Amino acid sequence: MTSRNRLLLPYNRPNRVFLLKRLIQFLLVCLLANAQSPKSSPPPPGYAGSIMCRGCHPDISAAFFRNAHFKSTTDEKLKFEQKGCESCHGPGKAHIEAKGDKTKIIAFSQMQPKKILDNCLQCHTQQMGRANIRRSSHTTADVVCTNCHSIHKSATPKQLLAKPQTDLCYGCHQNIRAQFSMPVKHRVNEGFMQCSDCHNPHGAEAPTWKMSARPRMMAQGLQNEEPCMKCHVDKRGPFVFEHAAVRVDGCASCHVAHGGMNARLLKRPQVFTLCLECHNGAGNFGRQGDGIQLTPPTHSLTDPKYQNCTVCHARIHGSNSHASFLR
Amino acid sequence: MNILLLALLAQQTVAPTVEPVGVPRGNTIGDYNVRQSFETGYRFANVDGNRGKYRSDVNFLNGVRVLGTSLTVNSRNGKGKYFDEIILNTQGLGNDPYQFASMRVEKNRRYRYELTWRLNDYFNPGLTIAFGQHFQNLERRMQDHQFTLFPGKKIQFFGGFSGNNQSGPALSTVNLFDTRGNIFPFFENVRRKQNEFRFGGQAQFAGMKLFWQRGWEFFKEDTRGFLDQPGTPLDPLVTNTTLANFRRDHPYHGSTPHWRVNLFTEAAKWFTVNARFTHSNGNRNFIFDEVANGAVRGGARNVQTLVFGDARRPVTAANLSFSILPTSRITISNHTAFHQTKMEGDSTIRQLTNGTLDSTVANFQFLGIRAVTNSTLLDVALKPWLSVQGGYQFSDRRIRSTELLNDAGFIDQARGEQSNRLNAGTAGFRLRPIKGLTIVADGEIGRQNRPFYTTSEKDYHAFGARAEYKQKYFRVAAQTRNSVNFNSVSLFRHSSRARNYTVDGSWTPSTRFAVDAGYQKLHLDTVTGIAYFLNFNQVDRDSSFFLSNVHAAHAGVRTVVAKKLDVYAGFSSNRDTAGSGVGFTTQPALLAAQVFPLTFVSPQVRLSYRINEKLRGNFGYQHYDYTEKILQLQNYRAHTGFLSVLWTF
Repeated sequence: MTSRNRLLLPYNRPNRVFLLKRLIQFLLVCLLANAQSPKSSPPPPGYAGSIMCRGCHPDISAAFFRNAHFKSTTDEKLKFEQKGCESCHGPGKAHIEAKGDKTKIIAFSQMQPKKILDNCLQCHTQQMGRANIRRSSHTTADVVCTNCHSIHKSATPKQLLAKPQTDLCYGCHQNIRAQFSMPVKHRVNEGFMQCSDCHNPHGAEAPTWKMSARPRMMAQGLQNEEPCMKCHVDKRGPFVFEHAAVRVDGCASCHVAHGGMNARLLKRPQVFTLCLECHNGAGNFGRQGDGIQLTPPTHSLTDPKYQNCTVCHARIHGSNSHASFLR
Repeated sequence: MNILLLALLAQQTVAPTVEPVGVPRGNTIGDYNVRQSFETGYRFANVDGNRGKYRSDVNFLNGVRVLGTSLTVNSRNGKGKYFDEIILNTQGLGNDPYQFASMRVEKNRRYRYELTWRLNDYFNPGLTIAFGQHFQNLERRMQDHQFTLFPGKKIQFFGGFSGNNQSGPALSTVNLFDTRGNIFPFFENVRRKQNEFRFGGQAQFAGMKLFWQRGWEFFKEDTRGFLDQPGTPLDPLVTNTTLANFRRDHPYHGSTPHWRVNLFTEAAKWFTVNARFTHSNGNRNFIFDEVANGAVRGGARNVQTLVFGDARRPVTAANLSFSILPTSRITISNHTAFHQTKMEGDSTIRQLTNGTLDSTVANFQFLGIRAVTNSTLLDVALKPWLSVQGGYQFSDRRIRSTELLNDAGFIDQARGEQSNRLNAGTAGFRLRPIKGLTIVADGEIGRQNRPFYTTSEKDYHAFGARAEYKQKYFRVAAQTRNSVNFNSVSLFRHSSRARNYTVDGSWTPSTRFAVDAGYQKLHLDTVTGIAYFLNFNQVDRDSSFFLSNVHAAHAGVRTVVAKKLDVYAGFSSNRDTAGSGVGFTTQPALLAAQVFPLTFVSPQVRLSYRINEKLRGNFGYQHYDYTEKILQLQNYRAHTGFLSVLWTF
């Protein structure tokens, strides 16, 4: 090795010990940043401590170690009022002294929906998935945290849902329940997927593939697109020849999302009617604003093969090798 | 309490068992509490009728299954050495068509690992599509891993991986050798693979939360199409084309790197801000190589088509939300969204016929979509029992398009640009006139000046209302959702009306008896002007009409006999009665497509016997009856069920 190369070595090939030291220093800085000042401190005025709750609420207390909120009880870095029962229910001393008077404590069953939201969001703004909760359709309809989550009697250990997710959603969205009971459907009832695979119940950004406020609460895909593309990745593209309808008005131009009576979740029982409803040359629609291309004169509607458009236009979601999606 | 919850469950597919066994206390091992359950058994299915359609809709088959397992391990003091919590759930392992597993391992405030794994066995003959020649028997495996360092702390890091593989045999079709030729089905060996890698972090400072993520998605498709034997033409009337053999390879590979940044604050009690920026670059490279050997109009025809090129799609989006809460009763939210997609691609197509290069065509395509949306929402709680809301939304979307074709020096170019604006208003209220009764209503009315498609929303309104009355053991609710859209311009009409009405209720008078039932009416009718050709004559003034009237009902009753036997009986029924659509067209093909009446009924019964505190024996039976009213080619009846043992320890 020449002396010149030795001089360049630290820049070209930083040694592993050097990198490891830097990594450890970085993690230590993060740990210090995460450290919080107050250690154990005496109860603030009005607070009694979670141990006092056990006397009257033994069933809740006994199983609380399985609850996701239990971690606050054992975290020595949290302030007293951020720990255990009183972190959500507020100071409990007056409640105890009044022998369980619900008006002397934060009782979620007695609270206005917005107060419940405020209370939970004190901690639960951590995840960015909840960044739009204030303007979500659920919030504006007074469907707040405790309508879906049951902290002490949850049916699911994850997310502490009051019931399995599908049943929770069906509770209000009965028309969607009917769609998932149809013969052709996404496999939600079968347990393969959940509503939250496509929807964000805590509110979403504005839909971008359509212009209006609907559909609501969609959990967008990688390219800010419809959630359909999260699983149906082969339909995402990009393609040289995009079927513009997929990108402009979305998958719902031709398909229903939840369930339906027609094959492949199509909006019509016969494919050709679906195609002809756009490809009719009418008005100032389409890419060039002069109507969407009409079928050619050779395509006589009396011929069965022209009633099966996708038999030739097999690459209907997008193609790289044919402008009319033939291959 | 459990039975009270179970009473309200949606009708489940007949496994796994939902009835609890014993008291879920679990066992103590060291400082941990461990609970497990394990259900295994035999699933059976007997199908009478169209088995392909049954597999498309239901797809449960015979065999031994691990119907469901669950494991939870919790540290009793929240200070486990290596972990504080493990949650593991599985469903349908051992060959069920819908398999699922999820796991979470967490050490409080140190790390969290989450896993989701799914498998879907997808079988679809698609009989009503493409002459039933687009058959698919695919398997999709999806997995997602996410590891978070320092969860719940001010500074967090995460890394993740997602995979989505699809493979299996399928059929497709190709039109050879020209438009006057015939259509031939061929086999496909589908191979698609998507992997996504991501890492990022989250930091809290000065009352703000900053989230960032960097990721890469890799996608590759290596599906091969082939036909090693003479092709069977689909159109018996066309006899001028024969196909001796066929091969198609079209590898399609690429990546989508992306950034996401989100800045959020709710530190102040009277306002919240959320800003988000995302950018992704999509790029795909492809080669298409197709060889078809045969004959057309008496002469040998060998055609090789070669296509190569690439496609790109950068997408940028930005969102900014303000929510102002001047008093505890008023919320004002404003949301601005910007979205831009640019899709462009080049492809060069070379075609050799009988060994001679007869055409080289170069294509360039561009499609750009830019949308700006602003919406404002005002929510006022006038009284504790009455709230009202109103909003306004403005959207502007511009679409630019370029289509360029170079065919041996002949250049054809088409450009287009147009924009569309939406003005929409929303309004609603929430009312709680008496204890237990909630009434919610909301509506939206919108006007677009220039929608891009004939079936897009133009002059539309949507309205929904829901009333629910709930007491301790009794609940009843009714709901309606309606949407109407008119998109008619000079010499063209399109209208769509969707009306949904539902009513449901449940009653749980005791822990040993519960009943729930519901009825849903889903109506849809659409009329769209269409144009087409009949024997080279253009028909302009015809209509495509579609009418669907679905009457859906479900009911379930659950009871406990002698404290040991849980019995559940239920049914779901979906009946599309359609209706009469005569009058909109005289064309037989269109008349036949106006309605699609059918019935899909599925009763079920489940028995679950508690043998002891840790063991249950279970039996379930579910019947499926699918009946079409017109063709009846796809009708089937299926008897499915399972016999299982559920062991909790």
